[in-house]
Amino acid sequence: MLRMEDVTVAIAGVQVLRSVSLGLTSGRTTILIGRNGAGKTTTLRAIMGLLPVEAGAVHLGEQEIGTTPAYQRAAQGIGYAPEDRRLVPEFTVEDNILLPALALSLPAPERARRLDEVYALLPQLLTMRTRPGGGVSGGQGKMVALGRALMVARTALLLDEPFQGLAPALALDYARTLGELRRGRPDLAILITESTPALLDAIADETLQIERGAIN
Amino acid sequence: MLDTLIPLAVDGLASAALIFFVAVGLTLVFSVLRVLNVAHGSFYAIGAYVAASIGLWIASAGLNPWLSFPALVFSAAIVAALFGPLVERCLMRWTYGKSEAIQILVTFGLFLILEDLQRIVFGVRSLAEDTPMQLLGSTQIGDVVYLNYQLLLIGLAVIVVVGLRIMLTKTRIGRLVTAVVADREMAQSIGINTNRVFILSFTLGVFLAALGGALATPTAGAAPGLGAETMVLAFAVAAIGGLGQIEGAALAAIIVGLARVLAIYFAPSLDAVAPYIVMLVVLLVRPYGLFGQAATRRI
Repeated sequence: MLRMEDVTVAIAGVQVLRSVSLGLTSGRTTILIGRNGAGKTTTLRAIMGLLPVEAGAVHLGEQEIGTTPAYQRAAQGIGYAPEDRRLVPEFTVEDNILLPALALSLPAPERARRLDEVYALLPQLLTMRTRPGGGVSGGQGKMVALGRALMVARTALLLDEPFQGLAPALALDYARTLGELRRGRPDLAILITESTPALLDAIADETLQIERGAIN
Repeated sequence: MLDTLIPLAVDGLASAALIFFVAVGLTLVFSVLRVLNVAHGSFYAIGAYVAASIGLWIASAGLNPWLSFPALVFSAAIVAALFGPLVERCLMRWTYGKSEAIQILVTFGLFLILEDLQRIVFGVRSLAEDTPMQLLGSTQIGDVVYLNYQLLLIGLAVIVVVGLRIMLTKTRIGRLVTAVVADREMAQSIGINTNRVFILSFTLGVFLAALGGALATPTAGAAPGLGAETMVLAFAVAAIGGLGQIEGAALAAIIVGLARVLAIYFAPSLDAVAPYIVMLVVLLVRPYGLFGQAATRRI
């Protein structure tokens, strides 16, 4: 459903992705494993349209989206949670989650429906919804960023190293949440990057290895 | 004693209002675009020349003199519509994410272009047009006479502070701007068209600078060299307040405005340096300005 074909990306003249191809299917969870600097984040950013693709193509369904700006890819339902949470510190947790609805000008009923869905999947967020985005801990912030990405995700969900920097107990909690998310949203194509994949074994349908910018 | 101090305060606040319009535009553009626009003061100067020209035209055409009030705001709107989207799309956007040295060089180039453009269009004459000030007259309280136009300036500055704050926290576009300020890439990936936010914010910044220039014409006229002079002052105010801080710019403008008036009254030779003495003292104590926070740099 979402496919990268022979995608090459260079950052400041250095090739970071070399002819990467991968396919995401609705309902399946793909894990992308690689060391630091292997190109995991770059792969996600290229799918999201945050980096220009030098060669190759990105397809969403039948449509080639390789040059579509990131904000339009979000409108097409690709949700992305970056590794660092990147919340708006001045907004409450709930306003951070609702930000995509505002950006995409979702009608009120759709907005309420998606927010209910996020709270149903991530009930932890309900208890902190009125706190400022700048005042939550790292682990909580990652949950908020996941909720925000879910507001966008209609077709695909991209998670960048969700366990990075989480205390072991929180990481287990987050892994459980991902399991529930998989059951609650059987329609989504999910791509998760990780350097230590142990926690993801239970939900992985497919595991890919990336090394020095190339998928083996 | 009070009879001396209150008119001084009104003078100071009125000049603070004018500096504030420019400084808050500079600070707004800086927080959204992350570019310190060295040419920002030129929009003040152009706003002043356009407003003076339109004012003189209204007078010579024998139109209703009260038209000169809406004409001041209209002048700023023309300058913003002409220069905002054009300069942002053709010039500013190439500097995003580049080193500060390049940003300063490019916007300094823009400053030189705008200065020449201003000379070509308006010549090197000074223009004076004070109909709005004359129309509003003055108010006498006790033994003290106040220019009503100065009170209007102070009121408008208050409206702009409150209006900007409401826009940023309550409106859709304001909240999107806040998100872009917090994190540009995050903003794109949740569906915000950042290019539109850049155009809008830059144009609003140009409008505020031009509004400052337009509103200054009834009391100060328009003269060559206004752009550079204003830029340095606006930069001092923005730095004192903390770059990116709206309320900080307002408070800093008040401090600088009062400092200048006090200098003029008590030590006239210090008039020109008063704002920079304030800046020096504030930055020695608070290097990021009164309201500023140390920037967290992202890699």
